[in-house]
Amino acid sequence: MAGPFGAIDTAGTGLVLHRTWLDAVADNIANVNTVRPTSGEAFRARYVVAEAANYGGTDGVRVAGAEFGDAQGRMTYQPDSPLADAQGYVRLPDIDLADQMSQLIMAQRGYQANLAVVERATAAYQQAIGLGR
Amino acid sequence: MPLAGAVTPGAIGTAPAGAGAGIAAGGTDPAAFGNAVTQGLEKLQAMHSTTDSLAVQAVTGNLADIHDYTIAANEAAVATQLTVAVRNKAVDAFTEIMRMPM
Repeated sequence: MAGPFGAIDTAGTGLVLHRTWLDAVADNIANVNTVRPTSGEAFRARYVVAEAANYGGTDGVRVAGAEFGDAQGRMTYQPDSPLADAQGYVRLPDIDLADQMSQLIMAQRGYQANLAVVERATAAYQQAIGLGR
Repeated sequence: MPLAGAVTPGAIGTAPAGAGAGIAAGGTDPAAFGNAVTQGLEKLQAMHSTTDSLAVQAVTGNLADIHDYTIAANEAAVATQLTVAVRNKAVDAFTEIMRMPM
């Protein structure tokens, strides 16, 4: 049974998901230039997996987990790097900054949309309370 | 529960009332309305203490999700408005009865 604030609680689950997504994108962008030696794994991009869920009567969404990007990364020729191997190669993460920026916009817009639901639902409830006043 | 269930007429009204059922059944119990109000106030009190603890978490830097606090504050505010509206209606009804000429 959804409580009296069903719409707001459901939007709250969406806010949690999009905040997590923002965190993941922030981590990916922060590590876009993280150099690793070829002997190890490259920094692996994080991708948040969403899943429809039910929280004891309140429908919504939840973070099902995280998927990780390619561990191979991009083999880049940087012979000056202290981490370079004998052939002069290092591993850079396989993260496309343009793709991350698009994801950033989607996460931000999703967060805003859920906040708009909270706002509109609040306005609707307040109008209902004002009925006949 | 499917979302369609959330729009069942009266579903929201019957959920928090509990003790208020006595009013609809005929209103023979004079304490029914008082009990309903007391229950409502207790729930309101719980919502406000949740909001307060989230506010403390926010200022101490322990709040992971900012919207947890804003949503709780929002819900508490709307619930308070609802409680006050019901209280005002009850007081209006009482004064109306007191003004009745005899």
